[in-house]
Formats: sequence, structure tokens, C-alpha cells
Amino acid sequence: MFYSIWLQIRVIAALTLRETRMTFGTSHSGYFWAVFQPIFSVSFLMTLFYLIGRQSPFGTSLALFFATAVLTLEFYNKLSVSLMRAFTTNKSLLSYPMIKEPDTLFARLSLIACTFIVINVIFYSGLLVVGLGQLPAHPERLIYAFLTTCLLGFGVGSINAILYQKNQAWQHIEKIFARPLFFLSGVFYIPSTMPPEAIAVLKWNPLLHVVEWTREGFYSNYRSDVLNIAYPLGLGAALVIIAMFAERITRKQRV
Amino acid sequence: MIAFENVTKIYNVKGVKKVILDDASYRFADKKNVALMGHNGAGKSTMMRMVAGIELPTSGRVRRTEKVSWPMGFARGFNGLMTGVENVRFVSRVYGCHTESVLEQVQEFAELGKSLALPIQTYSSGMKARLAFGLSLAISFECYLIDEITAVGDRRFKKKSEQALKDKIKNARVVMISHSEKTIKDYCDCGVFAYGSKLYHYDDVNELLKDYRKFC
Repeated sequence: MFYSIWLQIRVIAALTLRETRMTFGTSHSGYFWAVFQPIFSVSFLMTLFYLIGRQSPFGTSLALFFATAVLTLEFYNKLSVSLMRAFTTNKSLLSYPMIKEPDTLFARLSLIACTFIVINVIFYSGLLVVGLGQLPAHPERLIYAFLTTCLLGFGVGSINAILYQKNQAWQHIEKIFARPLFFLSGVFYIPSTMPPEAIAVLKWNPLLHVVEWTREGFYSNYRSDVLNIAYPLGLGAALVIIAMFAERITRKQRV
Repeated sequence: MIAFENVTKIYNVKGVKKVILDDASYRFADKKNVALMGHNGAGKSTMMRMVAGIELPTSGRVRRTEKVSWPMGFARGFNGLMTGVENVRFVSRVYGCHTESVLEQVQEFAELGKSLALPIQTYSSGMKARLAFGLSLAISFECYLIDEITAVGDRRFKKKSEQALKDKIKNARVVMISHSEKTIKDYCDCGVFAYGSKLYHYDDVNELLKDYRKFC
């Protein structure tokens, strides 16, 4: 029992190191770009909105308000998209009997999660340094929200991986669902101030809940009428369970 | 212990159904060097991959309590974009071996010199085979799977590999596929013959070779 847990940890650790090497390339600048590419793209977006002269819907810092949503979405997107190709790119690894497909998923998850912890820390401290940020009022809520995003991204990403391997056309269909998330997740607005008809639709988006959770973590006086913690957590857990069962059932057809 | 329990393996490619094994149970004799023989296309390599755990049976179980190697000379598990060193490190981590000592042994055995620091995609197939063979020797397996040993390397390296393998077998065993009667006699104590989707055991290699000559 202990041996198999130890084996599992060892395999996932080895795979994570390999993933790191594969995603970032040989050079050390690879690590730099992996972390700073999302940071730069979010900063660029924010600069544009500042130039337009947009006011922050909440608090004084437009940058902080955006970041709470955009960084969460970036993290989720990264997970759901790179997990999708985990099986197809790692096919050769299955020649080592102790490596099973879910291990490749876990390895990608841990690499991406670590990268995004670094990205979040750098970005929010950066905002603090230039006077556009603030210290989170409830840091523990940020951690909960981050972990819930992991759960959702992992669940969706794993299901993507199974479907993508069955039929490569899935990558195009997945995009159709993923595209509108940017508008449905409260990037530009406070969901609680939307008309009830809009909320009735928006509240089905689990990422909106996570974004609201992150905001409640940052602002001491942000009250969300939409946030229901049980929804993203329950959905995330259900997706992960479904994905793991589906993976096990379809494993024989895949090899 | 390595054992097939009611193993059925069926390939279904483009509507063509091929039965490799049909409800076969077989226990590879413990600590013995086993020859695996059969005509071309009987499914010997597939069986070996099932023993290695690379392929799953359609139904039934493959039980394995020994540390079994991947089929030797097989370099598919390497990543072309990563260097030789990185691939070696990865594999030894997965098998829980001491990374640097494995690397040292591979360096010494495979004689790839500075090429070890280059991406595998720049290697010739002979170089890849050397690396794979050196690596499987460095990781101490209890059972080595050998699919046509003669395919690897130039003459000098072949000799060296043969010697290294004979040294290894003192503490480990082999399951071997070969069409060469000499190789089988050299290495194996007993054998199994794959015929008509079933497996037949032979305690004596000479008996196996007799039937092999008769049917193949």
C-alpha cells in the first residue's frame, strides 16, 4: 500500500520534471516566458482599458478588478487546453508499465498550478508596488478559489483529453464553449448589479462563482449575491469523478 | 512470478479480426529462462508487450510480481526532443533508481560520448538501440524481455552486449523471442510455443525446437 503510493508520487514527480522540460524548452529563458507571457498579456489588456479611460466597477483600481477575473480565467483555460493533449503527446510514455494515463494529467496539473501560483504572486505584488493593488482582506478565500479552479480545470481538461483522443474534432467544439467565458465571467462588471434575468443565466457559469470568490477574498467589503460555494466545488468534484471513471473504462480502447 | 490468467487478446483493425490468444492461461516457470517461439505473426511480440505491461489483454489478467524490463532494443519510450541524459534521468526516476549512478553506467556501456548531451532525434537507430540497451542493463531488472537480440548494433557492440547480458542473467532471467535455434539453446532452460491462439509449455528446449521445426 505504502509502496504503491510512493511509486505513484515518484512517477508523477518524474513526469512533472519532464513536462517542465518539454514546455519550457532547454533555455532558462523558457521559464521566464512561461511566467511572464500571461503577465504581459494581462497587463497589455489593462493598459488599453486605462487609455480608454474606463472606470473600475468596484474599488479604485481597475487593474485589480480585472486581474481577479482574468488571471482566474487564464488559469482555467490553460488547464483545460493543455490537459486536452496530455494523452496524445504522451503516448510513448505508456511503454513504461508504471505510468498510467491519469499520471500524465496529474503531472500537467501540478506544473501548471505551480506556474500560476508564481504568476499570481508576481502579478499582485507588482500591482501593490505600482500602487494599483492592495493586500487581500481574506487570503484564505483566495486559496480556496484557486483550488476550486484547479478542480474545475482538471475535470474539464481530463474530459477534454478523453474526447480529444476519441475524435480530434473535439478541439474545435471545445473552443465554441470556451470563447464566451470571457464575457460570462464578470471581467467587466459586478455580477450582483446585473438584472435578475441576466443573473439567472450567468449563475450557471461555475467560473463566475470562482471569480466572485476571489473578489471576496481581495476586497473586505465586496458582497456577492451570486456566489454559491457549493456549486463550483460540487461541479468540479463531479467532473473529476466522471473523468476518472471514463478514463478507466475507455483505457483499453485507447491503447 | 509472471502469469497469464484466461488471457484473450483480439485485434480488430479495419474490420479484420485477429485472435492472438484465446482464453490462454500460462505461468512462466519461476527463475527460468524462457524461450517464446511461434511462426511469424503468431503474436509473440504482442505477448511480450503484455508481459511488459505495455499492452492490456482484451480480457483476462496478466499477473506480474517481478520487475520486468521493456522489450529490449525497443526505443519508443524515448522523447526525441530531450537529450540522451534527460531521457536516462527520466527513466531511472520512474523506476526509482539512483539517477546519477544509472547515468554513469549508461555512459560507460553505450559509448555514446558527447552525443549523450544531444537530443535523441539526432541519433541514428543504432545509437538509440545502444542507449536503450545500456539503460535496461543499468536498471537492474529481475526479468529481461528480449525480442530478437541480434538486431542491435555493430559487431563489436554486439559482442559486448552478449557478454553483458550473460553476466546479468546470473542474477536475473530472460524471456526471449528468437528464430535462431542456437540463441535459444544458448540462453533458455524451457520454452513456450504459441500456436493457434494457444500456448504450449515445454520443459525441454530440444522438444520445443523439434515442434518448432515441424510447424513453422
